[in-house]
Amino acid sequence: MRPEFHLTLPVEDGASVFPALPGFVTDVRPGAAGPYERLARIGRAAELAGMGGVLAPFDPAGQDSLIVAGGLLRGSRHMRVAAEFHAGIATPVYAAKLSASLQRFSGDRLDWRLAVDLDPRVARSQGDFVEGAERYARAEEFLTVARGVWHEEDYGFAGRFYEVLGGGLLFPLSGRAFPRVQLSGTSADAMALSARHADLHVFGPEDDLDAAIAELGALAAQMGRSPAYGLRLPLLAREDDDEARRDALRLWLLRSGARETFPEPERATRLWHGFGRPGLVGSYENVAAAIRGYLDRGVSAFFLEVEPHLEETYRLGEHLLPLLAKEIHNAG
Amino acid sequence: MPVDFYWRMAMEGDQPSLRRKGIVSRGGFTPGAVGGLAPGLRNGKLDGYSHVDYLAEVAKATEASGFVGALLPSFPHTDDPWAAAAALARETSTYRFMIAFQPGFLHPVQAARMTASLQLATGGRTVYNVISGGGGPQQLWWGDKVEHDDRYVRTSEFLDVLRGVWYATDHSYDHEGRFYRVRGGGLPPALAGQPFPEVFFTGSSKAAIAAAGRHADYYLSWLEPLSSLTAKFEQVREHSAGIGRSPRFAVRLDVLARETEEEAWQEVERGWVRPGPAATPAYVGLGDSVGWQRGQDLGSGGNGSRGGYRALEISPNVWGGFHVLRAGPAFGLVGDYRQVAARLDELIALGAEAFVLGGVPHLEEAYRVGAHVLPLLRGAAVR
Ligand SMILES: Cc1cc2nc3c(=O)[nH]c(=O)nc-3n(C[C@H](O)[C@H](O)[C@H](O)COP(=O)(O)O)c2cc1C
Repeated sequence: MRPEFHLTLPVEDGASVFPALPGFVTDVRPGAAGPYERLARIGRAAELAGMGGVLAPFDPAGQDSLIVAGGLLRGSRHMRVAAEFHAGIATPVYAAKLSASLQRFSGDRLDWRLAVDLDPRVARSQGDFVEGAERYARAEEFLTVARGVWHEEDYGFAGRFYEVLGGGLLFPLSGRAFPRVQLSGTSADAMALSARHADLHVFGPEDDLDAAIAELGALAAQMGRSPAYGLRLPLLAREDDDEARRDALRLWLLRSGARETFPEPERATRLWHGFGRPGLVGSYENVAAAIRGYLDRGVSAFFLEVEPHLEETYRLGEHLLPLLAKEIHNAG
Repeated sequence: MPVDFYWRMAMEGDQPSLRRKGIVSRGGFTPGAVGGLAPGLRNGKLDGYSHVDYLAEVAKATEASGFVGALLPSFPHTDDPWAAAAALARETSTYRFMIAFQPGFLHPVQAARMTASLQLATGGRTVYNVISGGGGPQQLWWGDKVEHDDRYVRTSEFLDVLRGVWYATDHSYDHEGRFYRVRGGGLPPALAGQPFPEVFFTGSSKAAIAAAGRHADYYLSWLEPLSSLTAKFEQVREHSAGIGRSPRFAVRLDVLARETEEEAWQEVERGWVRPGPAATPAYVGLGDSVGWQRGQDLGSGGNGSRGGYRALEISPNVWGGFHVLRAGPAFGLVGDYRQVAARLDELIALGAEAFVLGGVPHLEEAYRVGAHVLPLLRGAAVR
């Protein structure tokens, strides 16, 4: 499977990116010169760097992923844009309708990342009081109804969460590709939902990858489906291991870690545990080799987490992705 | 008193003219239409453009022609206004996106988040057209079973929650209502502190006017004959005054303006006599919308075949047959540039402080109205 590299966007970059100028300095920037403008530049960086896509995460502290996706799709030609949201934001009919327009506008480049497990406190702050296993039941209905109105005429559905009568997108909103569905999680509920609905299931490097991929693969096969597998992956790559380590240390100190507690990158796996979750640190060659390792284990999509986003994205495009050119361009 | 002129964004695609009723050639809405644009054909293949590329042109034409922005309607057969606004935010600089949406399809917290993100993207150019739905099969298509008057109760609660979340700091907003619950809500610092969009509220029923009283910055009505519009505004004024509010008034109408009156009516006639069904989808009339019914009762109610088009000129230049020639409400103005400007001045004198004008095709007509009609306006001075 052709490997895909996606950039995870900083939807919560804060207004601090563009500090206000002192009052006596003429500032003709419209209000638009803020965090959204910054995101647009980062999106262009991913496109120009030849990445396969970007992910706008659901972040209660950040900008809305669907609005961000709408702008970034318009500002790009090739890359996919994934918007992460939870099922409480809208009815599945409305989510489908809005997404059909995004598909029309972008030539079918939208992905959905459905966030199912939410911290109950966060969920309630979003007006969403559905909890526990119920969240999976709702996600199931949400995706079923969304696909139903997408693909069928005169669609009807009466479930526990949603009801539709005589539904179904009309031409020309109909007939586009349904957004590629990304899901995540390792619980039994998550696996069962993915077996039925995921086009791409995203794990973390902390997960027991081989076991999880085997489990989901078997479940999905029973439904005659075969999702692709993705990996969230923080990453710091430099010209050599020493430089990578130096910058990892700088990052560690910046995030108020102490010099004495700096976790050394693991030599065998190139994994570093200082990002907050495990990620890769090392020379371009070594990081590329580690990525090849994941490819061999069945992972084909990488949701890279880098910082600062713009600069690191150009770096990846110029130094890391070329080392994987053979895999990217020759895969079947 | 400044008057804001909005134009309309044809989210349903655009016809080449009113002469070609029901032929939506722009935006990919008519399968296999010869002469279709965005997408069009190049060497026998789709050229890769899409509706949004045309919408971008209309938005720029609108901006250049003196309009403050446009209304982006939302129906089952249209593209979505949030999607279009997100796509075009950075391709425009002064254009305000008046987004039509129905509470009930979006959660108010999500509406707050999307709006605030759009405010960041546009530098505060988002405006709301709060619609409460026309009922009937269309409402069930959307997956919404709530009855007419209850929809306005929901709209009211929706706007309360939306404002509550918008202005809350420190996750301090709690709400327990009939339609919505929120605990510890509020916009995060990255989104907070931006202007709340102006609210253009629509609905002609009692329930609508009651809800409008609490929430409307502008009460937006379709054009009706001036006497009935005057009465409607009076009703809204009275109700609002009763609760200590005074919304401004806005009118949505199409204009067909030409150098001479004769030329304008010829344009109508050419569309009128051309065979073909009315351009407005049948389901639009099947609901519980009081406002739509008013338009039908006052205008023709029928299709082009019955009676002469000129019989629908209810008062000078006020014509009630537009829905036959293009999708949308019945009433608009037909006349020469001066006449149309004079009628708009009368509406201003009647109390209108904002307009949503429209014309087909939206691109060329935006330029025309900007160049030939808006400059002739005199405002309340005509009184
Ligand atoms: C100016 C104006 C614009 C409207 N735009 C829309 C729209 O975009 N989508 C929609 O479904 N209904 C739209 N409506 C219709 C409303 O949803 C509603 O059906 C109408 O206001 C009737 O409500 P009433 O029964 O209270 O009169 C619009 C109404 C008006 C007056």
